[in-house]
Amino acid sequence: MPPAATTVPASPKKKNSLGRLLALLVAATLWPAVWGFAAVAVGDLLDEAVLPDLDGSPHHLLAGATVNVFIFFKPGQEHSAAAIRQFAALEKEFAGKSVRWVAITSDRTPRAEAEAARLAAGIAMPVLIDAGDALFGRLGVILEPCVGLAGADRRLVAYRPFAKVNYPAVVRAEIRHLLGEIDAAELARAGNPPPATNGGPAAAAHRRLRLAEKLFQAKLYPQALENVQTSLEKDPASAPAHALRGQILAAQNQPAAALLAFARALELDPANAEALRGKAGLANPSP
Amino acid sequence: MHTFKLPVISGLFGFALLGGLWAAQPAPPVPKVRQNDLAPLPATEKAAATHAPFEAGDCRLCHQRADPASPGPLTGPVNELCLSCHDDFQKIVAGKTGHAAARESCVSCHNPHDSRQPKLLVDESATLCLSCHETIKNFALHSPVKHAALTDGAKCLNCHNPHGSEVEKLLVQLPLNLCLTCHGKDDVTDHDGRKLTNMKKLLAENPVHHGPIASEDCSACHNPHGFQNFRLLNQEYPSTFYSAFDLRFYALCFECHETSMITEARTATQTRFRDGQTNLHFLHVNKAERGRTCRACHEVHASKQKHQLRDSVPYGPKGWALQLNYTKTPTGGSCAKTCHATRSYDRARLPEEKK
Repeated sequence: MPPAATTVPASPKKKNSLGRLLALLVAATLWPAVWGFAAVAVGDLLDEAVLPDLDGSPHHLLAGATVNVFIFFKPGQEHSAAAIRQFAALEKEFAGKSVRWVAITSDRTPRAEAEAARLAAGIAMPVLIDAGDALFGRLGVILEPCVGLAGADRRLVAYRPFAKVNYPAVVRAEIRHLLGEIDAAELARAGNPPPATNGGPAAAAHRRLRLAEKLFQAKLYPQALENVQTSLEKDPASAPAHALRGQILAAQNQPAAALLAFARALELDPANAEALRGKAGLANPSP
Repeated sequence: MHTFKLPVISGLFGFALLGGLWAAQPAPPVPKVRQNDLAPLPATEKAAATHAPFEAGDCRLCHQRADPASPGPLTGPVNELCLSCHDDFQKIVAGKTGHAAARESCVSCHNPHDSRQPKLLVDESATLCLSCHETIKNFALHSPVKHAALTDGAKCLNCHNPHGSEVEKLLVQLPLNLCLTCHGKDDVTDHDGRKLTNMKKLLAENPVHHGPIASEDCSACHNPHGFQNFRLLNQEYPSTFYSAFDLRFYALCFECHETSMITEARTATQTRFRDGQTNLHFLHVNKAERGRTCRACHEVHASKQKHQLRDSVPYGPKGWALQLNYTKTPTGGSCAKTCHATRSYDRARLPEEKK
C-alpha cells in the first residue's frame, strides 16, 4: 500500500487579482456549466497534497505551473479510458508550455491495472495513487473521470466531469484561457459552439457571385449576368456583386446601366476597387 | 417482485438477442471515399437539382473542353474546383471536425451535374450516410427502442451537418440544444406513442441539473441512434421505484459514479450522504428486496432541491405525493415526515455519538 496523501495547508489567501475574478465572473455568466467538486467550488483555494506515483515517488498535486491539470480516473472504466486517451493528445499539444499534468486514481485500483491504463493511453504524466481516497474525499470527487484545473495561485479555476461530446475541446479552451491564449468570449464559444449551418442565403449569394466571376472571366456574359442577378436577389447589399454587375454590363456595351451599378456598389462600399476602376474606365475610355 | 423482474428478464433477453450487436468489438472502418456514377441524368429525365455551372452550359468551368459530349478531364483536383466557388465550406471541411468524406472528395456525396435528389446528392440522404456508416445502420435497424429522429424529417441531417461542425460527431449543436429542438415541446411521443416530458420546460422550472445536462451532453445517458434499453438508455438502469440491488442494474449510473458509493456500508470519503461513516446510500439502495432505485430520491434530469433531490415521492396506488421535506445543514441534512419519520444525518458525527 502506498503512503497516504500528505496534506500541505494552503498558504494564507492572497488578494485575488481583479482580472481573475472578472474572468471567472464573465466565464460563469457566458458559460453556465461552471461548477465544482462536491466539496470545493471554482474559485476556492486548494490545499496542496503530496501523493505517491506508481513507483512510490512523491509528487505534489500542484506545482506552481501556470496551469495545473489534475485528472481523476478509474482504470477499466470506459469513460475513463476515453478521457485519458484524449488527455494524452492534449498533453502532447501543450508540451513546452507551463502546463503540468497529473492523473490520480484510487488505491482500490490494482497497480498493474493503473500501469496498463497509463501505457494504453500513452500519457506521459505521472499516475498518482490516492491512498484511502483521502483526496477524493477532501475535494468531493463523486464522478469519474473528471478534471480540475488550478492556476499558479492554487485556486480551482475549472472543474469538468466527462462528456461524450467535445470534452477535449472544452478542456483545451480552459487551458488556453488560463495561459492567456484566448479571451473569455472564445472560452465561452468553446463551451457553446455556434450551430453548424450550411451557410444560408448569404453563402448561396456568395457562391453565385463566385460562379458569375468565373463566367465573366470566360467571357460568358449573359450567363455571368444571370448569376450575378441571382446573387443580388439573395444579398442585395453586396457591393462586390453590384461592382461585378457593372463590369459585365460594361463588357456588354451598356455604359449607362454599368455606371448605375458601379454607383450602387460605391454607395455600399466607397472603397470598392472594382467599382472605382470600372467607373473611371467608363469616364475615360481607352482609345 | 413482479415490478422488477419483468424489466430484468426483458433486459436479459435483449442482451441475448442483440448481444453481438453491442459487443465491444471494433466497428468496421468507415470508407473515406464513395465511388459514384457522376454522369448527368438522361435528357429525358427531370432533375430535382441542377448545378448552376452545368446549367450555365460551359463545361470549361470545370473540364478541359467545352464539348458536352466529350468534356475531357477536369482542370484540377475535384475539391479545389468545388471550393473555388463553395469557399465558405473550405474552413469547416478542412477543420478538425470536418467530415472525412467531404475532405477527401465532394463527389463522395454530390453529383456535380444534376441529380434526382435535392442538394445534388447522389442518393437519398439517409441511404447515402448509412451506405458508409454501417454500424449506425445496424443500430437503427435492429434496436428494439427506436428514435424517431432517424426516420422523420431530414433523418440523419436532423442532428448532423455532413460537411463539418465545431461540435464532435458532426453534430449541428451540442447534444442538449439539439435534443431540445424536439424534446422541448409538449406533444412529443416515444416510439410506442407514450407522451414524453417537455424537457425544456422541466429544465427551466428546475434549476438543479444533473451533471451531463449541465455539460449539455444527453448522449452521456441516451443513445440517440436507438438501443435495447427503455428510453434509449446506454446501459442498464431499473425502470421501477424498487429494485433488488445488483451492480449490473445500475451500469448506467456507474459509468460516471463510483460504485463504492453504494457498495460500502461504511465510508468517510465515498459519499457525502452519510451519518458519521454510515453510508446512507448503501442503507437505502443496497437491499436484496425493496432496494430504492436512484429515482426514489433523485430526479434524474433536474430538480428544485440540491443534490437533485425530488420534492416528493409517489406513494400508494393513487400515486400520492409524499413531500421529502429535505433540509440541508453545513455537514448533513434531514428528511422530515416522508417515507419515514424525521431522520437527520451529520457527516461530522463521531462513531460513538448517538443521534
